[in-house]
Amino acid sequence: MLKKRQSFLVLSLVVLLVATFGMVASAQKQVTLKIGLPGSYDVTSKDIIDQFIAEHPHINVEIQEAPWGDFTSKIATQIAGNTMPDVWFQENAVILGYGERGVAQDLAAYIERDLDTDEYIDGLFSARTPDGKVWGVPHGINPVALAYNKTVFEEAGVPFPTDDWTYTDLIEAAKQLTVVEGEEPVRFGFIGAYAITNGWFPWIKQAGGSALDETKTKSMFDDPRTIAGLKQLRQGIEEGYFTNVDFVRAHGGDLEVFASGKAAMHFMQYSLQVNMQNNYPDVDWDVVKMPKAVNGERYVPMVANSWLISSRASQASKDAAWEFLKFYLGNDAQNIVAASGSTLPVKLSAYEVIEASGTKPLNKAAYTDGIAEGGVTLDENATWNEWRLLVQQQVNESVVHGKITVEEAAAEIHKKVQEVLDEN
Amino acid sequence: MHKQRYWGYVFTFPFIINVLVFLLFPIVFSAYISFTKYDLFNAPKWIGLTNWINILNKREFWLSMRNVSMFALIFVPLQTSFAFLVAFMLNQAALKAKSLFRLFYFLPVITPWLAAGVVWSWMFNYQYGVLNWFLGLVGIDPVNWLYSRSWVVVIASIALVNVWKGLGQSMVILLAGMQNVPHEVLESAQIDGASSRQLLTHIVFPIVTPMVYLVMILSTISAFQTFDVFLGLFGGITTGISEQSMVPNIMIYRDAFLLFKLGPASATAWLLFFVILAITLFQQYFEKRWVHYD
Repeated sequence: MLKKRQSFLVLSLVVLLVATFGMVASAQKQVTLKIGLPGSYDVTSKDIIDQFIAEHPHINVEIQEAPWGDFTSKIATQIAGNTMPDVWFQENAVILGYGERGVAQDLAAYIERDLDTDEYIDGLFSARTPDGKVWGVPHGINPVALAYNKTVFEEAGVPFPTDDWTYTDLIEAAKQLTVVEGEEPVRFGFIGAYAITNGWFPWIKQAGGSALDETKTKSMFDDPRTIAGLKQLRQGIEEGYFTNVDFVRAHGGDLEVFASGKAAMHFMQYSLQVNMQNNYPDVDWDVVKMPKAVNGERYVPMVANSWLISSRASQASKDAAWEFLKFYLGNDAQNIVAASGSTLPVKLSAYEVIEASGTKPLNKAAYTDGIAEGGVTLDENATWNEWRLLVQQQVNESVVHGKITVEEAAAEIHKKVQEVLDEN
Repeated sequence: MHKQRYWGYVFTFPFIINVLVFLLFPIVFSAYISFTKYDLFNAPKWIGLTNWINILNKREFWLSMRNVSMFALIFVPLQTSFAFLVAFMLNQAALKAKSLFRLFYFLPVITPWLAAGVVWSWMFNYQYGVLNWFLGLVGIDPVNWLYSRSWVVVIASIALVNVWKGLGQSMVILLAGMQNVPHEVLESAQIDGASSRQLLTHIVFPIVTPMVYLVMILSTISAFQTFDVFLGLFGGITTGISEQSMVPNIMIYRDAFLLFKLGPASATAWLLFFVILAITLFQQYFEKRWVHYD
């Protein structure tokens, strides 16, 4: 009896000790992870965060959320004061700048260790530098496709665009679709957008040009092909089969002009399908892949927001942050991203969710297959923000307003962009 | 007495701290970083006069100074004279519904630039804008107000919008001055046969010259620091405000907070400060010749 009691006591002690040590050990493993969410839960699904918290009880998640503009204004000060989150996301080009300035952690080794890159689209490496550093992983990808207003095409008796279209086909169709009454254009064939993603960049790429060379250290604005692309865009606006800026502004912007049938085609970013669904649910429209370039290749410009891990976080926080990013790039979270419709995920398996969706545009494969076939970033590098502004200034002067010739603008752009690249 | 002085220091201490931390320190620090390479994330690195020399050699800086000078030349006289005339009219005893008129003139002041910018950019629209429509009615060719090949047209158009926006504020200051003009003086002048124009030029204007001077100084400073009107009309920095339409404060904001080049941004800010200081001193030099405080 006594032996039994002694054995019971010893057993109890052992259980108590194990439990105590276990608790101490688990308490030691507790780590706090500060996640920054610009745009709050409007941009990042709350389900993903909640699911991560539920599956990782040893990570205390602190969310720092704010409207996009407020977050991006505040984050620079936070970095300066060393009070930034451990992991957050911003525009990919900004992340590249952070990498250059020592703010972002290089994720190349983490990716190599933990991810099977064959399961992802190339866009996973949007934040990779020519020397192999990876400053971030995508929060989501926003590619461009050729959207067309079916009603306008049917009324004009012009066949719908196809995936085999070239830019010459687009221009010819735009001419056929344009309607002028008296001197007033009432319908344009195509929206002559002039921003980088759906404006001048696809036009220079299709002509065989580019903004920078492959090393991202040389300006290519002196390349005759780059100039030819800009001239085609200018010509469309000047000759009146692409919209001009006055028309678009007076009629409520690109989407309104497209949805109201005042323009038949538009290079539309994936995220805008949500606006179209919400604001113009009755419009009959769809998308095809971006037209092919003169060399037969397809170039699909894509912009990304990318997550980064702060290089100044503690090792434990960095590990927890990577744990979060692994989760974000996993099947469950990527399926949630896919279902949101506001951005494309980077995991291939999630594309089944998108392609099975019954919302407009029905041919979402134009986006998903489009980036698989020819997804290109906007020649982003650490100084993208700076040189992009210089390019946009001259594009506005020449292509949009016709105040100077495209050749003059290209010469000015080339000089200034090269100065920025050399300076950095 | 000593005890009273002690309590004086105690009570002013929070304000002294406030001035030191939020006024003096930023001024001194911005002067320091204008001599450094500083990206906000890494420690400033001393580079001497490089930022200053680079800015002074930059075409964009001189274009921005040209633009802002023209902007001030158009804006300050127009704003001051219109505000003076409107204040004089609204100060007439015979005028009915004064408060309503004052409200109308003051409304633009409280209109956010974001909304005002959108409305004015529509009105300035080359093909579809209401201003060119009016010109068309009288047989005048449309004007490309914001994107003209002539930079003077662009700056003048923007200055006019700024006059519309700022008129109310200057009017309030001048109206306050005019309401202090003694009625007896005006009445006796009228009895002596002074006309309305003589009342305005020989009595009201000399008495309110300190207010006019204040309005001119404030308008000049705000003209050289202009920012919102350009941003509102051109729709933002990232959409690409052209070099021909650039102003110093937009350069400063862009360099500091979009490109994280705090050194050049600070140097530009200091150069702008010196220009404003010089012009203010110039105005002060002539103050005694036309401003009457007695």
